[in-house]
Amino acid sequence: MKATIFDIERNSYVDGPGIRTTVFFKGCNLRCAWCHNPESQSALPQMMFYKNKCTGCGKCKEKCPNHLESCELCGKCTIYCPHDAREICGKEYTVDEVMREILKDKVFYENSGGGVTFSGGECMLQIDFLEEILKACKQNGIHTAVDTAGNVPFECFERILPFTDLFLYDVKCFDSEKHKRYTGAANELILSNLEKLLKTGRSVWVRIPIIPSVNDDEKELQHIRAFLRSCKYPEKVELLPYHAMGEHKYAAIGKEVKMFSVPSEEKMSKLKKIFL
Amino acid sequence: MNERIKKLAEITLAGEMYPQTVAVEYDREDLFLSPVAMSAKRVCEYILAQEPMLREECAMTGHLIFDGTVEGDIFGRKGHLAFQQAKKAFYKSPLHNLVTLEWQHSTANFEEVLKDGISGIRRRINASKQFHAEDGEAIEFLGALSDFCDALIGWAHKCSHKAYALAQSTGTQKYRQNLLLLSESLKKVPEHPAESFYEAVLTVYLCFSFVPDSIGLADRYLYPYYQKDIQNGTLTKDMAKEYLQELFLMLQSHTPKKWSNFYRGGESHFAIGGYLPNGEDGFNELSRLIVEALMDLPTYIPQISLRWTKKTPSEVFRFMMDCERKDPNKRIAFVNDEPKIKAFTEYLGMPYEDAVNYTMVGCNEVAFPGGIYMGSAQENIVRSLARTLHERSDALLSCSTFDDFYQIYEKELFADLGEILDYEDKFNLLRARDVNIVSSIFFKGCVERGKSVTQGGATVACSGIDLIGIPNVIDSLAVMKQFVYDEQLLSMGELLEALRDNWEGHEDLLALIQKKGNFFGNDNEPSNEVARRFTGSLYHYLNDKRSMFGHKYLAGNLIGYHEHHKWFGERTPATPDGRKSGEPFKFGLGQSGGHDREGLSALLNSVAKCDPHHILNGPTVTNVTIDAQLVMNDEHFEKTVKLFETYLQSGGIHFQLTYVSKEDLLRAQEDPDSYKHLRVRVSGFSDYFVKLNQALQDDVIARTTQTR
Repeated sequence: MKATIFDIERNSYVDGPGIRTTVFFKGCNLRCAWCHNPESQSALPQMMFYKNKCTGCGKCKEKCPNHLESCELCGKCTIYCPHDAREICGKEYTVDEVMREILKDKVFYENSGGGVTFSGGECMLQIDFLEEILKACKQNGIHTAVDTAGNVPFECFERILPFTDLFLYDVKCFDSEKHKRYTGAANELILSNLEKLLKTGRSVWVRIPIIPSVNDDEKELQHIRAFLRSCKYPEKVELLPYHAMGEHKYAAIGKEVKMFSVPSEEKMSKLKKIFL
Repeated sequence: MNERIKKLAEITLAGEMYPQTVAVEYDREDLFLSPVAMSAKRVCEYILAQEPMLREECAMTGHLIFDGTVEGDIFGRKGHLAFQQAKKAFYKSPLHNLVTLEWQHSTANFEEVLKDGISGIRRRINASKQFHAEDGEAIEFLGALSDFCDALIGWAHKCSHKAYALAQSTGTQKYRQNLLLLSESLKKVPEHPAESFYEAVLTVYLCFSFVPDSIGLADRYLYPYYQKDIQNGTLTKDMAKEYLQELFLMLQSHTPKKWSNFYRGGESHFAIGGYLPNGEDGFNELSRLIVEALMDLPTYIPQISLRWTKKTPSEVFRFMMDCERKDPNKRIAFVNDEPKIKAFTEYLGMPYEDAVNYTMVGCNEVAFPGGIYMGSAQENIVRSLARTLHERSDALLSCSTFDDFYQIYEKELFADLGEILDYEDKFNLLRARDVNIVSSIFFKGCVERGKSVTQGGATVACSGIDLIGIPNVIDSLAVMKQFVYDEQLLSMGELLEALRDNWEGHEDLLALIQKKGNFFGNDNEPSNEVARRFTGSLYHYLNDKRSMFGHKYLAGNLIGYHEHHKWFGERTPATPDGRKSGEPFKFGLGQSGGHDREGLSALLNSVAKCDPHHILNGPTVTNVTIDAQLVMNDEHFEKTVKLFETYLQSGGIHFQLTYVSKEDLLRAQEDPDSYKHLRVRVSGFSDYFVKLNQALQDDVIARTTQTR
């Protein structure tokens, strides 16, 4: 069994408690307008080309078996480009291969209260693999977190519940119409999954990306808060400010980027107070 | 910091606490005396002719500087003619692109001076005279030491008089009290044992000038005095802090402001915490006070290492990391007792009770109380690899496995190590032509043996060899194993040709290696294994070797204040790690220059695992450059603390941190005026980035900034 994964990041401080290794699964069924990992959306490996780094030296064309007329993702151009302008995003891994990477930092997890986080893309879309690797982590005594947008049948949650210590659950906005406009999907399933998940009593951290002009008004967040109150309130609510660091990656996969402004620190601390 | 210390700190940083020397006209008929007798006579005259450095704000005095007209302290070795000659010839000039000469760092046996006083040492000198009654040379030397003891006490009395006189003229009541206490105390110490915390600190203050290097394990030898005085109510924490601060200011003042070393903590480095002889962790209330006292001061010298043990409370480690991140002058480093003590007991064969008494000295060497750290020259460890590749090509072409290749390389490596040790002995012999009078009584063994510290009189636990270019060697070996043998992507012939051509015309191969190479620092098993094999070779060669003084060698990777990584690199041809002919070497583990790309945990794992034989417990540094956010953001800081604590638990020997981005450093090079205050960790010391020479600046820039 294999999964398509686009990055395994060791020593991550931002995806749950303690020191963690974050495994990024490729493929997502949302298309959030502000997505900072646009290369995570497609489920297949793909070539990324950073035009701004390219000097036009022609090395890639020379090394490519097809002279860049078509791409088999052999990766030769990425090795020989002297300026790192080309990169393949996404590679297939077996459970053992991923576990080998995860286990390398086990001592750091243990001492810091950390563990492993499965993120994406949407890791739940590769549920068979996810279930297997979560089991393997638990067999090794490693704390597990699953970072999800929740837009999958609840059976997926049921399958991994016994092996998941923490869910990082993204909520983007409360209004379904608006949700659909900005992410491509309605949010009824997402919210009902969250409600069911919270009822199971599992640790859940709700994470809300703050996107100016989309959901940075107090009213919007009050709605989310009221909804969470009506369910079982999660262990933690984190507000994550929008950042533009994914901008260059849109061009690299030939997509158009939609830019938002970055919320100010004052704004963030004001909004954070809603959830205190 | 109270007003008095604030004032003294200002004067110190202005360079005005540096003692002015008084020139002495020696009787030319001294030349008829034997060298030792002449040296002793002149040393004593010199000491007694000096003017005590004393201002009305001072509560301590006795600091003096040797001007080079007599054989002075063992660290500066001013006036030691053989050493000065050797220094001139070899200090900055690599010999055969292989070796250079360095200082010998040390720490005095302060504990003994506090307990017995100089009078106690004098009794031991007399006993030794009887023991050596038949040995004319020893008798003459011991006589010289007696004279020195007299001069030292005379100096203390002279200081006492000056303090008394100043007490009469000062208009400030508080200063008057301080000066009177000072004057009284100097009639007693260092001649007699210290009885209070103040007297103990004053003794260290006054004796430091004769062994001006590390003050050693101050949190141990001062602790009984501290405890006693706090208990009987004669000392408050604030007073203790003030005394320590005055001591630290004197350490800063020992380097003249016009020297660039004024800004470098490596001039005086000591350790706190660590295992006690009873196996418990030694970090105590005084250790904390020492750190707090130093952190208050706006100075550069001394620097402190925390000796971490598996029993160090997490709260203590966090406290030290917190001080470290807030210290603009970067005076704190971390060293691990677990591998160190193992190396000292298992490899050097020291008893545990002695092994736990080590302190850090200089940039990052080790010394034991009353012990000296011999050797410590910078050596080129890449030369043997380059020789193998550039001169043994016929033999290499017939190797079918990496093991075959490694055997050939190892022979060359051992030959170079042998040559290095030969030169170490030659340097020691050269330096042994000097007879040292002023430092010898502070070392263990000189009095009993009736022999100068320069001639092997002191007990020496070990010697260190500083191997420059270890990262280049490990990366080169790993790349060869991977590409030529494991993955067979290229033949040995192709590689040798590329090296001969200095990679010119082989840019594709170079790119392939740079992108796909299993470089050290990424925690991949192949490169970790190669690193272990290399350190294993060092261990197997050095394990049965002894210096001319009979001690063993530990290896390290430290450079001093100079550009040895550049000088050696300039003369060394291309290497398989992608280094071109003439390019500088890397020295610190963790300075892989962009090759370590898997994040901090991977880098730290690689470093912690690379030395199972503990041979790298000589002068070893691991410089880690990290993004400031990883420590300045409070939430991230807590994780970073845990990260480094885990690294130490896994056996990492040492680390010190710099928080700066490559972009900032490049801007600083272009516009030094705007970056005057930017401080970085260089080798075992920290300094203002813009004050470094170009080669050291370039090395700091080339290091990877870890963002996670």
